[in-house]
Amino acid sequence: MNSLTFQPLVPVFDANIGVGHRHDRIAPFTDSSQLLEEMGRHGVSRALVYHVQGETRGVLNANETLFSWVENQPSLYPQWMITPSIDCLKQLEQLHSENQVSCVRLSNTIECKLPFVEWLYNDLLVWLSEKKIPLWISLADTSPLEIMETLSHFPNLVSVLVGAHYSHSPLIRPFLQRLPNSYIELSRFEGLGKVAELKTEFGTKRFIYGSFYPRYAMGPTLFFVHQLGLSQSELESFCAGNLENVLGMETLI
Amino acid sequence: MIDGTTVIDFHGHVGSWDSVGMIDNPTIMMQAMDSVSIDKSCVFNIFHPDGTTSNNATAAFVAKHPDRFIGFAYVSPIMPDRMLPELERSIDQLKLAAIKLYPHYTPFPLNDSIWDPIYEFANERELTIITHTGQEPTAAPKFLIDIALRFPKAIFVAGHAGNIEPYRSQAIKAAQSCPNVYLETCSSFRSPGVIERLVMEAGADRVIFGSDTPLMDPRCQIGKILTAKISDQEKRLIIGENACRILKL
Repeated sequence: MNSLTFQPLVPVFDANIGVGHRHDRIAPFTDSSQLLEEMGRHGVSRALVYHVQGETRGVLNANETLFSWVENQPSLYPQWMITPSIDCLKQLEQLHSENQVSCVRLSNTIECKLPFVEWLYNDLLVWLSEKKIPLWISLADTSPLEIMETLSHFPNLVSVLVGAHYSHSPLIRPFLQRLPNSYIELSRFEGLGKVAELKTEFGTKRFIYGSFYPRYAMGPTLFFVHQLGLSQSELESFCAGNLENVLGMETLI
Repeated sequence: MIDGTTVIDFHGHVGSWDSVGMIDNPTIMMQAMDSVSIDKSCVFNIFHPDGTTSNNATAAFVAKHPDRFIGFAYVSPIMPDRMLPELERSIDQLKLAAIKLYPHYTPFPLNDSIWDPIYEFANERELTIITHTGQEPTAAPKFLIDIALRFPKAIFVAGHAGNIEPYRSQAIKAAQSCPNVYLETCSSFRSPGVIERLVMEAGADRVIFGSDTPLMDPRCQIGKILTAKISDQEKRLIIGENACRILKL
């Protein structure tokens, strides 16, 4: 590497972008055109987006508001937020009947005081399993204990664990081992040598690039993934292909 | 070296903290350094308050790869009688190049007088001190203003540049208030726009790249600098030129 600038070498599909302002945190962009501008600056061509109001406040309103961000924006794909409420499941069923659900994302179970336990989430997780809809869960916002315990009851459910921190490093291997339908998103996972260790054991298919923008800057993790010594095809898988597979999309690579 | 600039990582660790997966394997550390053209990493061991155990470990680590690592000395005021003798030994005999402080492992705020012998030592010898700064009560960067003005010949580097708000703003204010305060960039809180703000408000000549290796991967942390919306010359200062200047490399 001998350059002060960086652009990705493969098509990039970001698996983890939040849009909108939270009640307690202002985003550095106010509409989809500004988001697309930042994506363009970093060479990110597509992104899965959720509305951050659903992290700790109402998911119903968050999901309704998300429409205005993704309509007429073919490079932004909606990700619907969920809680274990009956109203949420009804909203999801409606969206699904309109063929609009490719994946969902759990709200912040810690701040919402809705622990991710089987007896509370059973109906929702049964429905997601039946419909083959993958579930995004933030390790920054949900107890790892609850994730492991609850997902163990739903072996067919595909899950993407986002926001793993370096302090989660000892936990990720058992997650990937015991939850064979789980994937690890890389936005915060920067313990030295950890991705290489996991890749050696689990292959290249369990990793998904995401930025966690705007909680985190968009560029550093994408740069990081490019410096891991991956082959061209592995890099394509990390940056887009594995996410496309999880979403059941026809790969564009 | 990136585009003709020697790259210095100003924040790295010797020692293992395996409960969070941190292992100081020099081979893996150097592989990561090589992949992003980091020439040298500054390292220190902060796990032993006597200082001697830490500094011997750091010196031994550096001795195996002296062209790639620069050792910093560590002492702690929870063993105050050890501070000065250990600083003299580690700088004069072990040839460690600067001083690392970790106030979070002590009950003493950085501006408590118990730290003064360390600051006086650095001031007399015109040495650099890097200290952890952040949300911990003893590590608030606002304390640097008190210290840096009293010890103007020492250089103070705010590790993590305060990490999060409002401590990041305190760190910037310290750099604005004191010409001998610098801001180091490593943090697992990689909020958008932080590097740009440090450059705009403190000046690129006061910002220093660090990674926290091997706790965090230097490839991701240098990515913060290289993908920031700042000029190439500002990037050069941050990734190496400022560090070379204050360490007199």
